[in-house]
Amino acid sequence: MLHRFRLFLRGVSSTRIGTLGVALTTSSFLLLVFMLLMQSAGVMGNSYAGLLTFLVLPALFILGLLLIPIGWHQLKKRTGLTTDQLLRDTFSEELTQANILGSSLAMTIAGLTVINLLILGFGGGAILHHMDSPEFCGTTCHTVMNPEWVTYKSSPHAHVACVECHVGEGAGALIDAKLNGLRQMWLVTVGGYNRPIPTPVHTLRPARETCEKCHWPDKFYGDRIKTFARFDQDTTSTPHFSTLALKVGAGGQAGKIHWHVSEENEVRYQPRSDDRMQMDWVEVKRGDTFHRFENRRKLIGHSSTADHGEHAAEVRTMDCIDCHNRATHVYQTPEDVVDNLLAEGAIDAGMPWAKAAGLAALTITVPEGRNTEEAIGRALRGFYRRKDPEVLKRFISQFDVMTVELAKAYQRNVHPAMLVDWGNYPSHLGHRQGQAGCFRCHNSDMVDEAGESISSDCTLCHSILAFESPTPFRYLEPVQTAQPDSAMHVYLQAEFTGGVQ
Amino acid sequence: MVLDIPFSPPHRETETMKRLFLCFGLITLMAGLAMAVDAESPAGKCMTCHKEKSPGLYKQWFASNHGSAGVTCIDCHGAQKSESDAYLHEGAYIATLVTPKDCGACHAKESDQVQHSYHAHAGEILDSKDAYLAHAAGGHPVAIAGCESCHGSKILIDPDSPNKLDRLSWPNSGIGRLNPDGSKGSCTACHTRHSFDVAQARKPEACSKCHLGPDHPQKEIYEESKHGNAYFTNIDKMNLDSDRWVVGIDYYEAPTCATCHMSATSTQPVTHEVGERISWTLRPPVSKTKENWEIKRANMQDVCRACHGQGFIDGHYAQLDGLVNLYNEKFAKPAGKLHKIAKEKKLGDGVANFSNKYEWIYWEIWHHEGRRARHGAAMMGPDYTWWHGMYEVAQHFYFKYIPELRKFHDADLDKAIDEIMADEFHVWLNRPTGDIKADIKSGKMAAMYKDMYSGPLGQ
Repeated sequence: MLHRFRLFLRGVSSTRIGTLGVALTTSSFLLLVFMLLMQSAGVMGNSYAGLLTFLVLPALFILGLLLIPIGWHQLKKRTGLTTDQLLRDTFSEELTQANILGSSLAMTIAGLTVINLLILGFGGGAILHHMDSPEFCGTTCHTVMNPEWVTYKSSPHAHVACVECHVGEGAGALIDAKLNGLRQMWLVTVGGYNRPIPTPVHTLRPARETCEKCHWPDKFYGDRIKTFARFDQDTTSTPHFSTLALKVGAGGQAGKIHWHVSEENEVRYQPRSDDRMQMDWVEVKRGDTFHRFENRRKLIGHSSTADHGEHAAEVRTMDCIDCHNRATHVYQTPEDVVDNLLAEGAIDAGMPWAKAAGLAALTITVPEGRNTEEAIGRALRGFYRRKDPEVLKRFISQFDVMTVELAKAYQRNVHPAMLVDWGNYPSHLGHRQGQAGCFRCHNSDMVDEAGESISSDCTLCHSILAFESPTPFRYLEPVQTAQPDSAMHVYLQAEFTGGVQ
Repeated sequence: MVLDIPFSPPHRETETMKRLFLCFGLITLMAGLAMAVDAESPAGKCMTCHKEKSPGLYKQWFASNHGSAGVTCIDCHGAQKSESDAYLHEGAYIATLVTPKDCGACHAKESDQVQHSYHAHAGEILDSKDAYLAHAAGGHPVAIAGCESCHGSKILIDPDSPNKLDRLSWPNSGIGRLNPDGSKGSCTACHTRHSFDVAQARKPEACSKCHLGPDHPQKEIYEESKHGNAYFTNIDKMNLDSDRWVVGIDYYEAPTCATCHMSATSTQPVTHEVGERISWTLRPPVSKTKENWEIKRANMQDVCRACHGQGFIDGHYAQLDGLVNLYNEKFAKPAGKLHKIAKEKKLGDGVANFSNKYEWIYWEIWHHEGRRARHGAAMMGPDYTWWHGMYEVAQHFYFKYIPELRKFHDADLDKAIDEIMADEFHVWLNRPTGDIKADIKSGKMAAMYKDMYSGPLGQ
């Protein structure tokens, strides 16, 4: 059996190219089997092995298969013989003898072809399955993708595979994705990718297609109450609370936040440039027509669409991503990081100057190649030596915890290799100071023909139950008439409760 | 036994009583309701938005006296629809501009004093020579960004502007601002918004925003003077935040601008009439005394007496009068006389005012160095009195002004110049140095000026 197989192989390797083809096919097949066994045993599971197994070896296998007929064709041209004659010359009588189903040779080739097709079929499936895994996306090109990979892992969508949002369903989406992948492979090889990766990403599937697989705008969310804690940079890190009752509503409810993306509704806008921070105009569907609000301010900053490529002139219809632009790859500000850690109790607020120290430590630049935790620790020590050296003696364990937590947050958010620093990727959810969000459209400069502007009334989208107040539900408490802001207290309480307590 | 009740009210009286009780009851009820329900001020909405959008402004107000007194946004910025600068903003009619008339709703006395003070006239400079120079030699933009920023602009209404104010005249906190409601001035010139901090108005920095520079360096003179020295050394002891701020009682280390010119003494109340204690006007080419100057001088001397003895005060005024008289008699009047002749005879190639060099030289002699000399003497900044003052007056008079006028070779002018140069003040230029030195030594030079110390001359 083996002898015959070797004869067959020798026969098939007609010319040098043919031989090469056979060699490639055989060796890559054997190696592929070996690698697959290893992978399923869990021995070699890293991304390089994956690359090798699922991309390189199959490619070589197919290349080899292609080279074989090319070699035969070469031989035919060289010798000038017909196929029939060549076959008889190369293979033994036994093999080429005609039979009911075909000669032995034909059967061998047919059999091997079937096996190849099966291999390619399963293999292709395995390849695609592998490339669908988040590990493939996030770790193969690890320098480029590290910021996105790391932020994804600590985001609300950490258990949703990358491909579920970044690649849609259907053959067309798949081909789009793979072609894009080729482009990315090239860029990674030559180092031609942008640092940092610019947003918005234009090759994403439409948000409705992806988000709405799990999230449904017509679901009734009612009012969502959210409390934010902000800590002062004083000795006791005094907390101040802002609490909002967000009027999320449901898609069909007018005047509620999710109304913006309901099916019956359509809000369209023309951004001034790709970053979508300033708008040229905004239109909202009213009945059969669109009611337009134009930006009455002259161009500030970016001068022309030419600066920002072909996407700048794109009119967009509002969808999930216009507000929830950072649903998964969540980047924080240093202030957010420290406030959250203090609010959670991960950093002890009893530690003097906790907030100020945290901020000081996060805003350092960790030198290339240095250990982040060490650098943060050094920054914190320096801070306390200046402010209050006693703290270093009395709060040793809290200090260590603080260092670790801050270092983790730093590594999540700052990626020097991709030139990603604090604030590179703002979130449009809400309107944090400095991050325009809602105010990109809801400002007094967007006016319609009658001169009316898009409302930026504070209580349009949320009631305010506390506003940098000492307690989280300040405005639900009785009014203290001596306070300077008692009028605001009365107003906000009445707005939420419908009366004054 | 049934008790006989002798008195029973007639039927009609019962009805009236019932009605009276009803009315009374209703009134009480209404009053009770009115008191029980907190009147919702529109300012609540202002604060909500502006706390987020103008955090600095909000925090300033919150920490200010207005904040603690319950004076809110709408109390100052609320406007009637009929006012020319009123506009609809988030459901309420407001005006960005808050004028002395608006502040006067609560601060009536101060508003009244300000509007009658000399400060309120500052905006009328728009018609003066200063304005002419700014517009002709400078240009409209510098008139706005330069002159009007201190003196005050005339606020123009632009119906298309979001806040109804023409951007060429707003922002402006000039002290003599001409407001659309007819009032003059701007309280925020000294009482910076939105803190309206009284301590800030008491400090010299409040005044030195405008009272500085080559033509009236009060800031620099104050800093040079002992008063300034004492102030900057003892700034922590100045008790600037106290409500009552009487010199000699609540503070005593040093005076600030406010101390002498406005603030309370143990006998005088606070006044926003800044001219009440000024006897000389040191502004014009030739200084004059003001109306009722003796009373005004007495007012000022009352301030000095909080720290100084009368002998000290009398000596200072003698020295001040001496300097002002010197300036007037030796240089100002002669220079003015020559200027008048040149102007009347239309000397010089230029046609317009300030198109000839001599006009600029004369202008600077009285407007710049002449003023510096006088202010320096008034506020005890000797460097300004002499080196930046009279020294430059003399130098420019002798070696810029006269030569420039001589160039015209005009007979009348030359004659006038010769007369001036021959009089006792200026004849020294042609005398042997030895003689001059001898006269200085002997006191003969000084004797020329001996009458200058006894009060304002030639008034």
